[in-house]
Amino acid sequence: MSVDIITANELVVQSDGYLVSEMNGEKIMLSIENGKYYNLGQLGGRVWELMASPVSIQDMVKQLVTEYEIEPGACEQQVRTFLQQLKSEGLIQVRKE
Amino acid sequence: MFTLNDYRIFGLNIKSKIVLPEAYEIHGIISEFDVEIELNPPLEDCQDQFTTDNYQFDNGRFLFHVPETAFYSITSGTQITITPYPGADEAKIRLFLLGTCMGVLLMQRGILPLHGSAVVIDGKVYAIVGESGAGKSTLAAAFVRVGYPLMTDDVIAVSLSNDSAAATVYPSYPQQKLWEESIEQLGLLSHNYSSIYQRINKYAVPIRSQFCREPLPLAGVVELIKASEPEPSLKAYNRLEGLHVLNVHTYRNSLLHLLNLQQWQFQSIARLASGLPVYQLRRPADGFSAFNLVDQIVSLTNKKEVVIS
Repeated sequence: MSVDIITANELVVQSDGYLVSEMNGEKIMLSIENGKYYNLGQLGGRVWELMASPVSIQDMVKQLVTEYEIEPGACEQQVRTFLQQLKSEGLIQVRKE
Repeated sequence: MFTLNDYRIFGLNIKSKIVLPEAYEIHGIISEFDVEIELNPPLEDCQDQFTTDNYQFDNGRFLFHVPETAFYSITSGTQITITPYPGADEAKIRLFLLGTCMGVLLMQRGILPLHGSAVVIDGKVYAIVGESGAGKSTLAAAFVRVGYPLMTDDVIAVSLSNDSAAATVYPSYPQQKLWEESIEQLGLLSHNYSSIYQRINKYAVPIRSQFCREPLPLAGVVELIKASEPEPSLKAYNRLEGLHVLNVHTYRNSLLHLLNLQQWQFQSIARLASGLPVYQLRRPADGFSAFNLVDQIVSLTNKKEVVIS
């Protein structure tokens, strides 16, 4: 797995080619290409929704701290870790601003 | 062939230009029909439009070609038009009409079709799914043999509620398709039944006396698997595994892409899987065990009731 860091001037966006739904409040996805299932969970599902159009990590964190009781620093760290996982699975694309 | 008949299949009132001896006729006057089955005069060849595949989706119409049998067109979940080949076998025309065509029609109507059999235990429906050859029909026949009604033996029509995980199964038509071997093992006599077109050892077994005609709630799904172990075993799947089972056993799931209904289907099975128990039942490949499997499934439903109360 690569250890790419998503930089401040980069935007993240959902990749195409997934069927998306919810099961017991958790976001679940199915890759049309390889038939793999993903469960992003509840919070992960919210992060996924925020990436419907290209967005910066900073803007995502700004939004998430208004919805959940979490410090901006801790939130950013968790989001970064989560995005790395999504990126390594090809679920998101990283673009230059 | 050019008579007009009214039938009730999958909870739908169907007006058909072709006689369907498999299905329940509607007696009495129906003012509104959900589906019309039209019959065109036989046509020699219009295969030109099917260059690479026997399926096509065009302008809301789903087109389906069965060589030497017929062309079918299925529109907006309300109309099926059949154009037979000259001299085509009527039983074979009906086989694809009641199978693939009805499956596609259900999807167009927003009703999820699963592939398998459905039995009724204590007023609740249990769906039996599995690969071809897993023994779904034989198991369903064993249920019938010991007195549990059947609701379908091919397409399971699952209607999902809009605001909850609850789902209802609608009855198909009272017929089973059984292999000669299964008929013998169940203590039935194959010479009493007519063989299904071109499937010499597969027989159509009518089961009107043991058929449930009322829609009932879906209470569970059992995936039947032919395994190498000597004893049968039963386990509950987790939700994501259950989702996969529902995905794999969605009837004609290879057509969802063509019908542009992949996202709808995924949302439907996710809603189902969020509340519905899905089990895996492994049965030995050798040795007849259908009645044993019936006991396993019935005890499962008993166990569940004890837990709830």
